[in-house]
Amino acid sequence: MQLVEKIIKGERAAIAKAITLVESSRENDKKESRKLISELLNKPGKSIRVGFSGPPGVGKSTFIESFGRYLVEKNYKLGILAIDPSSQITGGSILGDKTRMIEISKNPNTFIRSTPSRGSLGGISVGTREASIILDAAGYDFIFIETVGVGQSETMATNLVDIFSLIVGPGSGDELQGIKKGITEYADIFIVNKNDGDLKSEASKTASDYKSAISYYKKSNNTADKEVLLVSAIEQTGMEKVIETIQNIVSQNKKNKNFDERRAKQFTYWIEEEVKEIIQFNIQKKIKADGSISQLSQKVMDGKIQMFEAIEAITQNLQNK
Amino acid sequence: MKTKNSDNYTKWQKSFERETKIDLNEASSETDEGIEIKPVYTKADIENLSFVDNDSLPGQLPYTRGPKASMYTNRPWTIRQYAGFSTAEESNDFYKKNLKSGQKGLSVAFDLPTHRGYDSDDDLVMGDVGKAGVAIDTVEDMKILFNDIPLDQMSVSMTMNGAVLPVLSSFIVAGEEQNVNKNLLSGTIQNDILKEFMVRNTYIYPPDPSMKIVADIIEFTSKEMPKFNSISISGYHMQEAGADNVLELAYTLADGMEYVRAALSKGLDIDDFAPRLSFFFAIGTDFFMEIAKLRAARTLWYKIMKDFGAKNEKSLILRTHCQTSGVSLTEKDPYNNIIRTSYEALSAILGGTQSLHTNSFDEAIALPTDESARIARNTQLILQNETGVTNTVDPLAGSYFIESLTDELSKKAWDIIEEIESLGGMTKAVKAGVPKLKIEESATKKQAKVDSGSRVVVGVNKFKNPKEPKVDVRVIDNNRVRDDQIKKINDIKASRDQKAVDESLAKLVTAAKEDSNLLACSIDAIKNRATVGEVSKALEQVYGRHFATSLSVSGVYGKHFEGDEDFMNVTKKVNIFEVENGRRPRVLVVKMGQDGHDRGAKIVATSFADMGFDVDMGPLFQSPKDVAKDAIENDVHAIGVSTLAAGHKTLVPELMKSLKEIDSKSKIIVFVGGVIPEQDYDFLYENNISAIFGPGSNIIESAEKVIDLISDKIHKHN
Repeated sequence: MQLVEKIIKGERAAIAKAITLVESSRENDKKESRKLISELLNKPGKSIRVGFSGPPGVGKSTFIESFGRYLVEKNYKLGILAIDPSSQITGGSILGDKTRMIEISKNPNTFIRSTPSRGSLGGISVGTREASIILDAAGYDFIFIETVGVGQSETMATNLVDIFSLIVGPGSGDELQGIKKGITEYADIFIVNKNDGDLKSEASKTASDYKSAISYYKKSNNTADKEVLLVSAIEQTGMEKVIETIQNIVSQNKKNKNFDERRAKQFTYWIEEEVKEIIQFNIQKKIKADGSISQLSQKVMDGKIQMFEAIEAITQNLQNK
Repeated sequence: MKTKNSDNYTKWQKSFERETKIDLNEASSETDEGIEIKPVYTKADIENLSFVDNDSLPGQLPYTRGPKASMYTNRPWTIRQYAGFSTAEESNDFYKKNLKSGQKGLSVAFDLPTHRGYDSDDDLVMGDVGKAGVAIDTVEDMKILFNDIPLDQMSVSMTMNGAVLPVLSSFIVAGEEQNVNKNLLSGTIQNDILKEFMVRNTYIYPPDPSMKIVADIIEFTSKEMPKFNSISISGYHMQEAGADNVLELAYTLADGMEYVRAALSKGLDIDDFAPRLSFFFAIGTDFFMEIAKLRAARTLWYKIMKDFGAKNEKSLILRTHCQTSGVSLTEKDPYNNIIRTSYEALSAILGGTQSLHTNSFDEAIALPTDESARIARNTQLILQNETGVTNTVDPLAGSYFIESLTDELSKKAWDIIEEIESLGGMTKAVKAGVPKLKIEESATKKQAKVDSGSRVVVGVNKFKNPKEPKVDVRVIDNNRVRDDQIKKINDIKASRDQKAVDESLAKLVTAAKEDSNLLACSIDAIKNRATVGEVSKALEQVYGRHFATSLSVSGVYGKHFEGDEDFMNVTKKVNIFEVENGRRPRVLVVKMGQDGHDRGAKIVATSFADMGFDVDMGPLFQSPKDVAKDAIENDVHAIGVSTLAAGHKTLVPELMKSLKEIDSKSKIIVFVGGVIPEQDYDFLYENNISAIFGPGSNIIESAEKVIDLISDKIHKHN
């Protein structure tokens, strides 16, 4: 397959087209996409996948711009997948990440792709996982996945990335109560941004709030410690510490096999998801062809049978087909 | 108790309702500002006003009726036409011709590289040199610009905000080398950086150091240049970017307050600098509203300055320059623009402006020609000499409608000013992006009104001219200008004392670090023949360059079209497209070069998204190469290039080349929108541009055309 070679060679246009393919909702594309991904999985790269999430306004993109600049200066190749919300009403979207990633978006060592969430819940879009496999095969050292909101921490951490980090702003310690359980469980790194100017003392305070929050977390023996870091995206401070921490966690987790276990779990999860999707697709086809739902619903309306009788009859019917 | 008045009113109401068959309560209309306009105003409407004092006279507080007692009866307003293009030599010629034909003051337009502090030889400014204004790289250019124009006799206004230090320094040194001491220089430097962060985007440094520079200039000029206005606090660009009149008024005055505070922080006494603060407003087509705005501006500024503790009467008075609205001009049926400009000019006069620029009718498509500039100037000469408007001061005073509107506008603006104050003042509000977003929302609403036809624009969405006239436009060969400038820069660099340059630039850097006054140091550097770019870059070492983050409104455009057939038609096409292609049509909207006017790009982005497109927004000031990378990585179907500063002839071919360099088989469609003279259309089509959308294009029609072009391209290749 020519596309695979081009991807492995790192051709920008080929990578882009491949991502379009894996994001496509067209049935034919989905088949093509599965073929492509199977081939690429045989040629894995060496990339580390890092997830970045956090509430709006904490400067996620600005942080990524700043941290990204630091990485490309050190000659790392950096792939970024940014997921932006699609409008619930119109289905359209405004993908503005690059307005906040001005310097790194120019750099030849980056590949930055924004993707509309297209109504997928949790902010992870269809194809993000596949897109990261493409970038991995294309030789990117780091793949950043950026999403809006913190609600999808679990999906992100269990599904997609090797390291999951939460970016927060100064003063967010108060919100901690509400999200504590989820984040202490799933985030590997907490990055407190805006550690600059007037906000410095507030940022330090927030960092200690997070530190004390994670101290309650019962850590299992074979995982790396969670870390809380202070950075300023604007002043580009604290970046060495972030990369150090990422590398430490990766090497610790690799040593104790946690890294591979996590990826293995992600595969299981992925297989499960794909199976579900295929079954659901097939069932939907059957339902369309069958027509017994509307007949039996009418009978329920007319009071001829009970609702649960109808449901049982329909499921029986579909299973037998 | 029944009065004669209320009897009359009841009678009138009956007649009105009989004639119109409309209940009077339903007969009011609402302006963009949310102000209710009634079919009739009476004495009752000017009783108990909050800001306006009905007994006040011209030249008396609160100065609603004008800053001076005699106004135009003594001396008419100054005809001050804004101009500049190409090289200093050509602009100088143009100025001298205009002065001979009755113009009184000069107003210099600089090109975008100068605004953004780049020399003409910088790779980043390839397409922009000499295009939207004159290119100034060194003091030698500034001297040529004012060749044979004695600077002790001519008041010169300079629209400069970003590179304000090197440009003002060049002006001062050019004066010196004409043997004119700086204390004799008169004129104005715009020096209004806050509105750059809101709308115009020709800033260089982040907000805080930028405010320090503003304060430095106010400090220096208040001590050394008594005849020079240190700042021109500008609402003009806000209205151009789509702000309604209340937003324009409120944000401009709130900016003014912030500058006053910045100057006070230097330890100056308010009465030392406040008399040299001047203002600049846009005058659009809403005739009475614009008159009321100028009257309200003076009224509110008086209150603001009194609260600051100003005592000198001159500190309390708002003096303003006005310019007719550029955004009200249309590409279609362009001679209509002469008429629009005339009414706008009359508004400005009835509002009591101190000086006025009238736009040329061809400015929706290009820079004015000698001929169109003459018509624009004559618009004012006719007003001054033939109409009698100069015979009576503030002739609309006492009008129930005007006085009530003035008060209403004042009240609404005051609420917004208080809101900004509660955020901690304009610098903070700007950093949070609040005003920018409000203005974009207002702009999108206005555009939706025009596109939906609920607002009539003659010749555009109604009464179209079946036979569009051909208009000759001024063409700037920017490559030639750039070559000329580069040669001049090289000559100067070869002949100057490099050691002196390096030393003075080092001093400037130190001054920035030590927080001392930067204007004095930059005058030395400029005197030593440092370039505008070198001075700007020296400070960039200390302050960094500012990059704006960009927020967008959504849903504002679409809301105006609920149930609209054309709109629904496009959204339907988008949905079908998605089913057929597995994704939505995806468009990257970009600005290239140094042109920061992003109203058009923002409106296109938000309205296309409202129609269901996936829209990528590029950052400002992108190079064609950056755009190509961005477009290809995101595998967009189309790129929409918004251009308002005439750089398209260089930048668009560059973009096409860059796309092919990254992907020789690229099928990305490129369309262009904005200010593009028809003479350039063929050139662009030859460069494989798929569509061109001029000013006044209907966005829904444009969106439909784009999706059709994209579909065609896909089908052709399948």
